[in-house]
Amino acid sequence: MPPAGIWVDGLVQSCIYMTMAFGMVLVFSILGILNWAHGQFYMLGAFVVYYAITAAGIPFPVSLLVSGIVVGGLGMLVEKFVIERLNAPGYGMLYVTVATLALIFFFEGAAGMAFGLMPKGMATVLPGVLTLSSFSVSYQKIAVIIFTIVIMITMYVVLNRTKVGLAIRAAAQEPVAASLYGISVGRVSLIVMGIGCALAAMAGGIMGPVHSVDPFMGRIPMIMSLLAIIIGGLGSLTGAIVGGIILGLLNSVIAYKISYFSEVALFVLVILILLIRPQGLFGAPQK
Amino acid sequence: MKKWYNVVAISMVAVIVLGIFAIACAQKPAEPQATGPIIINIGEPVALSGSAAPWGQIPTPFREAWFEVFNREGFKIGDQTYNIKLIQVDDQNTPEGGAAAAKQLIFGDNCKFLAGHWTWNFSAIASVTNPAKVIFVTRSGSPDALPASWGGAYDSETMPYVVFGTPSQEEFTYDCFALVDGFPNYNKLGLLDSSVGKGGPGWIKVQEELDKAGVKWHDEWFTPGTTDFAPIITRFAEEGCDVVFVAGWIGEYMMFLKQRWEMGYKDMTVACSGPFVSLDMYKAVCGDDAFEGAVGAYYAPWEFKKTEVNPKYIAQCQEALAMAAEKTGKPYEYTGEIAWLPSHVLILVQAMQKAGTVDDTDAIMKAIRGGTFDTTVGKWTMSGEKTYGSPVVFGTPAPLCIIQGGQEVYLSEHPMEPLP
Repeated sequence: MPPAGIWVDGLVQSCIYMTMAFGMVLVFSILGILNWAHGQFYMLGAFVVYYAITAAGIPFPVSLLVSGIVVGGLGMLVEKFVIERLNAPGYGMLYVTVATLALIFFFEGAAGMAFGLMPKGMATVLPGVLTLSSFSVSYQKIAVIIFTIVIMITMYVVLNRTKVGLAIRAAAQEPVAASLYGISVGRVSLIVMGIGCALAAMAGGIMGPVHSVDPFMGRIPMIMSLLAIIIGGLGSLTGAIVGGIILGLLNSVIAYKISYFSEVALFVLVILILLIRPQGLFGAPQK
Repeated sequence: MKKWYNVVAISMVAVIVLGIFAIACAQKPAEPQATGPIIINIGEPVALSGSAAPWGQIPTPFREAWFEVFNREGFKIGDQTYNIKLIQVDDQNTPEGGAAAAKQLIFGDNCKFLAGHWTWNFSAIASVTNPAKVIFVTRSGSPDALPASWGGAYDSETMPYVVFGTPSQEEFTYDCFALVDGFPNYNKLGLLDSSVGKGGPGWIKVQEELDKAGVKWHDEWFTPGTTDFAPIITRFAEEGCDVVFVAGWIGEYMMFLKQRWEMGYKDMTVACSGPFVSLDMYKAVCGDDAFEGAVGAYYAPWEFKKTEVNPKYIAQCQEALAMAAEKTGKPYEYTGEIAWLPSHVLILVQAMQKAGTVDDTDAIMKAIRGGTFDTTVGKWTMSGEKTYGSPVVFGTPAPLCIIQGGQEVYLSEHPMEPLP
């Protein structure tokens, strides 16, 4: 049995994967696209938090909100001026895929030029360690867990108790019928892209103090959240959450058991899931 | 009308093309005889973009300052004084980038020598430099920069213009010895590197040497891009490793250092095979407490206890460090470059002086093979005739420092012995 520290570590990873995956699935369910630059919004969010704290002296929790607003706004611009135009008749999914892949290199290059390539740290944010009987956990990691719980509750309320949430769910289930009822699917797409990017940005921001901030920090979380989505089921918000939890815990436990082979094991698991249940654990079968 | 228009257009294009051709073929007028020092171009393929760029960018202020100091006096061959001009081209730390950078430096910038190279594209660059008869001063130790007999790509017969000015392969082993010297009561040494090198000949040689010296060790590996080291830290702790040596990956080292402290393994000493790039960066990422007690390479020749370094070179390095600090407006702590480009350049310069030529690369290589050179990291004789097939491997003092009170303090040193 792995020690408690490994499980806590896995839980922290789960939190980030599920937040990232949740945003990606939300965008997918409305826009029908996978935003391959999702990891770069995560990275940009971390930079916003870093400069909000170090340059502007804004408190950490407020910095997280600022990163969500700024990067969410950027995501809406990307939706309006890139995705919407390429998702139109005459173009198609391949164009959007190529465009969002290109955005990976654009955002990384731009961040490298603007902020430099040296890793930046926020060790002074929530410093210290909580020592329990057999293991220790940093306050930064505890903050990640609390942040994720708050985000998930907020998203539940937004999606199930507000008009915007109702419109999002309607547009996700039956876009044509939703538009006949007066819901602007275009506007919903814009909002959803903003929310998805804001979630990625805040996830990056909360992880900034845990790791370090650099232009390439979004790559691995993006790949892992994609795996979480595949495990949970493409298009399923519940699947994104469960997939994130499974992936984070498995990643930590398998790495503890078999060291660097863990990623091989994870990918084998994903392939097995795709073979046995192509729609993932919670996804609906393809019609 | 249209026909005449076409004839005129074609004629004009022909005249322009012939004109350009004539200008290109025209003999250059003889250049006036130089009255001052003659400039020799030395090229450095270096990572200036991508994730390895910090290693390429950080040393720049020191490099520029060191060349400024060096060129005040320059070097002499006979009565002629020479200065060196450094030309850097981004090699992106990729084989394609390395080959392109080497071609640009050799054929575009007329560099007679390439030096200071440390990125992971040895074969790609050597495949350009050797046919061009350009001396390439690099490091050993990247997976392909090892003897062919070990499974690497270096072959002394087909790569006669390669010099391993920095013996990274051997340095790793000697750093381990220096670490054990610094912590004689250690329980077990942990070795951590990227899975890219897992099972490679370089690692096997290191482990053979450690076994031979009776060092107790345990190795672990991470996949590139890993940010979560909790499982690996736990595995090291369960193996009883109280000193862990991490191969020179900046981001991974910082994460390991920080996370081991957060997990409660505060007594686990974590060392890095490279020098600390910027103390502020490690403190910002890891926190002051986690960084305290960290160990890194330390090329501060004025602190060496076992390796004697020419006082002239020490003074030059200290002046260059001060100039770099003035230029950047903050303390400049990175000592790593002292063991790279300046050392490589001094090897080349002294070889040119011994050979009495700056042009005859065969004569210069003859002087390098088995030669003794006095550099910024001490005086060493090129060795490795049996191991590498040619005595072209320089030495290293393998010095380490430990962070105490947030500052680098000399810890230990284990000078490399000549290779068979």
